[in-house]
Parts: sequence; structure tokens; C-alpha cells
Amino acid sequence: MALTDTSIPETATGIHFAEVSKWFRGQEQVVHALSRITLDIAAGEFVSLIGPSGCGKSTILRLAGGLLQPDKGIIRVGGEAPEQARRRKHYAFIPQQPALLPWQTVRKNVAFLGELNRGAGSAGISAADQLELLEHIGLGSFIDAYPGELSGGMQQRVSIARAFALGAPVMLMDEPFSALDEITRADIRYRLLEIWRRVGSTVLFVSHSIPEAVILSDRVIVLGDRPGRVSKVIDVSLPRPRHEDIEDSEPYHALVSQVRAAVKGSSVRS
Amino acid sequence: MNADTPPDETEDPPPEEVDHRVRRFVLALAPFSGIVALFAGWEIYVRLSGVGPLTLPLPSDVLWHVVTNADFYWEHGLVTLQEAFWGFWLAFVLAMLVATIMAHSRFLERATMPVIVLIQSTPVAVLVPIFIIWFGFSPWPKILTAALFAWVPFVANAVTGLRAVDEDTYELMRSVDASRWEIYWRLRVPHSLPYLFSAARICIGLALVGAVIGEFFNSTAGLGNTARVAQSRVLVDQLWGSVFVLAFIGIVLVVVLTAVERRVLRWHSSQGLI
Repeated sequence: MALTDTSIPETATGIHFAEVSKWFRGQEQVVHALSRITLDIAAGEFVSLIGPSGCGKSTILRLAGGLLQPDKGIIRVGGEAPEQARRRKHYAFIPQQPALLPWQTVRKNVAFLGELNRGAGSAGISAADQLELLEHIGLGSFIDAYPGELSGGMQQRVSIARAFALGAPVMLMDEPFSALDEITRADIRYRLLEIWRRVGSTVLFVSHSIPEAVILSDRVIVLGDRPGRVSKVIDVSLPRPRHEDIEDSEPYHALVSQVRAAVKGSSVRS
Repeated sequence: MNADTPPDETEDPPPEEVDHRVRRFVLALAPFSGIVALFAGWEIYVRLSGVGPLTLPLPSDVLWHVVTNADFYWEHGLVTLQEAFWGFWLAFVLAMLVATIMAHSRFLERATMPVIVLIQSTPVAVLVPIFIIWFGFSPWPKILTAALFAWVPFVANAVTGLRAVDEDTYELMRSVDASRWEIYWRLRVPHSLPYLFSAARICIGLALVGAVIGEFFNSTAGLGNTARVAQSRVLVDQLWGSVFVLAFIGIVLVVVLTAVERRVLRWHSSQGLI
């Protein structure tokens, strides 16, 4: 089977979906969430999933992370089943809400995930590196603050630092900026790119913002709904490292238009 | 205003207004003023209305009686306090055990719920004679009564606290394959602390009530005993003295609890952190 990527770099791991389908059984009806999803995400690639609400973006993320099981098809992450990769702490997850422990300081929140499941052998990056990471993300003077003392944008930055502190080869981000205002988002996405550039992990990023998906990704996967399926894959060939000035460039605007058209064409409702 | 004006970093905050400081001082006194007003009103009412001390004694007389018989009330107060103390902790430990099991299994939660409702809706005071048959003159009937009174709020809040954890955090912990044990200790237990403290506030009073009711039925010491004896012998001073000392114990315990809560829950929004 061609699912196992043989050229995986040490720090990153590819994600592969082959004909994956998923149904959800509610009390009254069965919802066909995903239909025959096939994806090949290379190690170290930054890929965004975008599409109308209810198209199964978050479901794909949870399937990749071994938090849900597919009904049909095969998923491999670095050649392993997602469940197995999860047991070995190969994932760093950034949820929609910061989901910090309110009873712990910023420093302890960042170390928190590394301290769990020690049997897996990965405790994440060192405490010194964690402090450097916090410094880098602009929280250097808040390491002993409690989450309740921070603004929403700062809390989300802690959540990002916590994920990178795991040093995991695969990062799963579920609309991590959706609760933030536009000014904070604009700032935080470049900080994310900057850290990611140094770490080089594989990123699966769920977004509902077209410009954001274009700015961040190597590829944007546009999903259609009812049931969720891959509608179009768009390569984002903007040079890296990317800074705010790309938002003024012609190729960027062309890509945004291209993705917007693809999203429009993807929904059965339109 | 020019948009390129640099921020003025030497700017000082405005000085605190005197008016504001006075207001804070008055606010800090507010809890005492209620109690002082209650006693003052009581004192004035008794003096002006001329009701006999048998119906309603002067609070100043009762206070004087307690102070001059401090040894007596210390001895009996300690007995009641100990019964309530052990009853309180027994209730807490049993509630955490039951809530932990309930929080981990929908089936067991559904199976246990009717039992809790049964205990909640039974006037537990009627169980005291049964405890006396089982344990006789020992402190156990009083401790068990105190525990039974305090148990229901503890278990109800513990189940909510252990179960209603943030779903995103739970999923996050699952994403690194955290064990049930880790999820329990690092997420569920800390999350339940504010719920347990608010239960404890109620349960301190309930444990005291339970201990006193236990003493009403069968006892040789304790403030329930002194009150019962005072009633049968029409010792009005001692009856009201027992009430005053019980109220005092209750207030001191709540104040101690509040101090502990302030320390433990520094992070929690109920402590005015935000």
C-alpha cells in the first residue's frame, strides 16, 4: 500500500487519508459527515481546511488526531494508525478556545501537556526552551500570571505556546483564532508562522477565514458539504518566510479570489 | 492630535481620591454593622417593651453570662465542635468517593441518583434513634447525624464539579492520551474545588445542626445537651448562652473557611482576581 511515506524527515510526519467516510448517529437521524476523503499531506507541510460550516472540517481534524474513528477507509499518520500516534504523543492540538487551566500560571499551563502520559517518553521541550518560547510569543513578563488576568488574545498565545512546547511532529489547529478580534488575529498569525518555521512540524489547520488560510498555508483544501468531501485543492505558492507585506501583493489577492470562488462553488446550498 | 505622537511613559496615574478611601473603609465595616444593629435593636426592644427575661432576655445579659461561665461553654462547645468536625469530614470523604464513581459512569450515576434523592427527602433526624440503637452512648450517633446532614450538598456539588469540566480541555488532554487518573487529578479535582468550597459553607452549618440534634436525643455533654437541660429546668441564661456559643462557633468556622478559600482559590473569579 502506498500510504506509508518513506521520506519523512525526523521532525515531521505526513498525514494520509484514503477513502475515509464518517457517519454520525444522532437520536433521530444519521448524518453523513464525510464521504470518501482522500488527502496526502506531506511531512512539514502547512495545510488548511476551509469550507461552509458543517462540511466536516473539525471532523477531519479529529479523525487525523485519533479522537474519532472512521467508519470506512484508512488513515495513517507517519505510517501509524492515529490511535497509535496519539498514544506516542505525536500530536499537538490547538482548540478553538484557549482551554487553559485557570488554576495554573502561564508557565505551568505551557508545561502541562508535556507532564501527562509520561509513559510515551516525550516530555516536550525543556523548561528553558519553554520560557524562550513564551518570550518569543510576547508573554515573557506574564509567565506567573493566571489565565484570568490575561486578555483573550494573550490566552490564545499561551495555548499556541503550550502546543509548540510539546515538540510534536503533527499540529492540529481547530479555528484557533476564531474568537479573536481582527487586529489581534493579524498579529498572532505571523507569530504562529514564525514559530512554525523554526519547528517545521506538519500542520493541519481548520479555518473559516479565506485570507488567513492563504497567508498561512502551503495548500488550501476546499471542502464541500452534505456530505463533506474534498471539492478543490489550491496550491499557495507565495514565498516563505511570509510577512504582513504579502497581503499587499498581487499573487496574494489572486489566490484569495481563487479560494473564494472555490468555496462559493463548493456548497450544495449555493 | 497627531497620530505619530509617541506614548508619554512618564505620565502618572491620578492620585487616589479621599472620597474613594472613605468608601472602602465603610465597606469593610459593613459586615459588622449588620450584627451590631441586630443586637442593638434587640437590646432596645427588650428594654422599652418590658418583655420578661423568660420570653426574651437582654442580649447583654446573655453575653455577660457566657463570659462569666466561659469554662463551662468551652467544655461543652468543644464536644459539639468535635462531633460536627468529624461528621463534616466523614460527609466530605464519602461524598467524594460516591461523586468520583458517579462522574465516571453514566450507569452508576443514574443508579445512585434515586438513593441520593431518597436521603435528601427523608427527614434524617428520624434516623437518630436508629443510630442510638446501633452505637449507644458513644459519639458516633452524633457524628453520623452531622455527616448525614452535610452529605447531600457535598455530593451534589462534587458530582457537578467533577463532571462539568471544560470539554476543550478534556479533549486536549485526550489528544496526548492522558490517563483517566491524570484527567481526574489534574482536571476534575481542581475544577471541583470552587463547587466544594461553596458546599462546605452550607455544610459547616448543617454539620453543627446535625451534632446538636444528635445531642438532643441522647447525650451527656455538648451544647445540644446544655440547651436541653436548660429548657427542662427553665435556665433561660443557659439556654440562650448555648445558642450564642453555637452561633459564635458557626461564624468562626465560616470565617476560617473563607480565609482558606481565598488562598486556595486565588485563581478563581469569585475571589475578585479579574
